[in-house]
Order: sequence, then structure tokens, then C-alpha cells
Amino acid sequence: MLTSHDVSSLVVDKLCDQEREQNTAVTCFYFDFAARKEHSVTNMLGSLLKQIVGGMAKVPGEISRAFQEQRMAIGGRGLRLPDIVKMLQTITSSLRTFVCIDALDECAPVHRVKLLDSLRQILEKSPRTRICIIGRPHIRAEVEKRLAGRVISVSVGTSRDDITEYIRVRLGEDGTPDAMDESLAADIMEKIPENVSEMYVGQGHRESFPTLFC
Amino acid sequence: MVDGIDLPSPYASTDMCEASFMPRDPRFSSAALLQLPGDPSTGHNQRLLLYNSAGSKDRKMSQPTAGSSTNFSNNSNSFNNVWNNYTVADDRSQLLAWLSPLEPKLRHRDIQEHRIDNVGEWLMHTEEFRSWHGWHGCHGEGEGDNGVLFCYGAPGVGKTFIR
Repeated sequence: MLTSHDVSSLVVDKLCDQEREQNTAVTCFYFDFAARKEHSVTNMLGSLLKQIVGGMAKVPGEISRAFQEQRMAIGGRGLRLPDIVKMLQTITSSLRTFVCIDALDECAPVHRVKLLDSLRQILEKSPRTRICIIGRPHIRAEVEKRLAGRVISVSVGTSRDDITEYIRVRLGEDGTPDAMDESLAADIMEKIPENVSEMYVGQGHRESFPTLFC
Repeated sequence: MVDGIDLPSPYASTDMCEASFMPRDPRFSSAALLQLPGDPSTGHNQRLLLYNSAGSKDRKMSQPTAGSSTNFSNNSNSFNNVWNNYTVADDRSQLLAWLSPLEPKLRHRDIQEHRIDNVGEWLMHTEEFRSWHGWHGCHGEGEGDNGVLFCYGAPGVGKTFIR
């Protein structure tokens, strides 16, 4: 029920709310196993750049010039990874930027290596940049290694409050209200969060447990 | 290089000009047509301008500028104004598409719609998140070394759990 998408989109929205008044850019990317081919590092980082530039009143000269120059080539020419990294380094140095990357584990491993290296290069030039990565634990070691010394890791699970809230909303959307009465609803609200929590108490988490995550 | 630009044939552009524009103010098109064969180096550009001005007939071009009938440079400026107006927005969307064909904002909107409010919000209140973000001056304005927040959740037990 609490999916990585939910966490990512929540973080993005909260950042957007917080940063509205500030001079900052909030960008996001959702990896998807089914779209592995299209989600190359170039396209992915290009899309971050696209979101930043799309929010600016004026396209930065460096990017505008590169765009005009490539048009001189027959059929135009796409951006190369080093160009994009350089542009991102420049733009994030002058504009505080948040990047939220969802489901990094669904990015092809060969692309992931390149992506993490590119992110490291960006952070080296622009240390104020903030990157939030959401993924399954098996890539944790890889993320921490490639972005050495810059990573805080946090376990994301579903809290009991999350479950209560989820059930409350779902009961409200019940398509067969005749089958539900107040005491049954109250029973569900009480028993399900309780039982779900109990199942994970053994995992050593008090308020939250690292499950219900996909 | 000029041949690389995607243009209709010169005949087509002249036709468009005459059909939509010339009857209103013949001075513009005749001036431009005079320019076409006279200057081979810029001729192609002039055709481009003609094509675009004909395409944006609701803009300035329908209002003849005072004193432009005898002064070709005024006409030319007027064409260029339209050309610039026409291409700024167009160029911007082309540039954005060139940066990447992907549209993650659309995906975000889709996910946002299906999310239940407040679920997962506790993450924002964790020390890790605050420290990463730099809220409440943890690291000045997020100037600390920890530029990356990695949120991990266990696989396997997921969407199907309660749904």
C-alpha cells in the first residue's frame, strides 16, 4: 500500500510546497522496469535538466547555444552524457536543486553505475544539490559506495498511522456500503492495524516496519 | 546547410502568401518577392519569413505599419518581428524536447492522483530527512556533506498486502 511511488511523489510535493517561495528547483524521475530501454542515463538526466530549464523564465545561454549549434549538424544531434552532466553542474551551482529519483533498483545495472557516477560528479561541483533516492535495500551498498560519504540511509516502511489512514479512506470508498455497518467498520479499524503491526514487531521496529513496499 | 531546414517548396510559400496575405496588403508580399530572386544568399531566409508570416496571419502582419509602403527596411523589420515572436515559443519547446523525450512530470501527476493524503508523511519528520534537507538550520541551508538521502524499503511484501 505504501509504494515507493507514494514516497517519491510525497517527497516531491512536500518539497514543492516548502520551496515555492524560495529560488529552488524540484525535479523528479520515476524509473520503471518496463521502460528500461527508454530510461537511459542520457534521457533520464536530460529530463532533469528539462524540468529545471522548463521552470526558468529564460533558457541559460550555454544550453541555448548548444541547442543552436547541434542544429547545424545534419539531422540535428542529441546530447551526450558528458554535455548533460556539465550543464547540470553549471545550472545546479546557481540554482538550488532537489532531485527525487524513484525505484532506482528498476534502472538497468549498467545504467545505474553511470547514473550514480554522474550524480557524484554533479554533487562534487554543486554540493548544495539535494538528491533523494528511493529503492529496494539490495542496491543500498551500491548507492553508498558510488556516492561515498554523501549518503544518509533511512528505512521507509508503513507506520500504524499510515495503515489506519489507508483503511479509513478505503472504507469511505466502499462500493457496497449496505454490507458495512458501524460496528464492522470500527472492528476493521481496530483489528487490521493491530494485526499488521504484530506481524512485524519481531523485526525490531517500533513505530514503523520496512514492509508494504513495492 | 540551408537545405537542412525543413521548408515547404518556394512555390508553396508564395501561394500561401498570396492566398492569405497579399490581398490585404500587397506591399508586403511584393516587397518580399522582389527580394527573393535578387539576393541568393538571403533568398532562402526570406522565403522562410514569408512562410511563417503567412502562417501567423492573426499577428501584426494584418496591420500595415504607417509609412512602410516606401521603406523596405521597415517591412523587413516587421517580418523579423513576427519571425521572432513566432519562433521564441516554438524554439523553447523544441529545445526542451531535445534535452529529453521523457516527461517525468506527467508520471508524477498520475501517481499523485492515486496517493492517499498524509500516508508516509512521518518521513518528513525524521532526523535523517531534516538533516538531508537542511530544515531548521541543521546544516545551514543544507550545506552539509550529506547530499543524498537513500530511502529503502523491503521488497516482496507490497501492494497486494492489503489491497
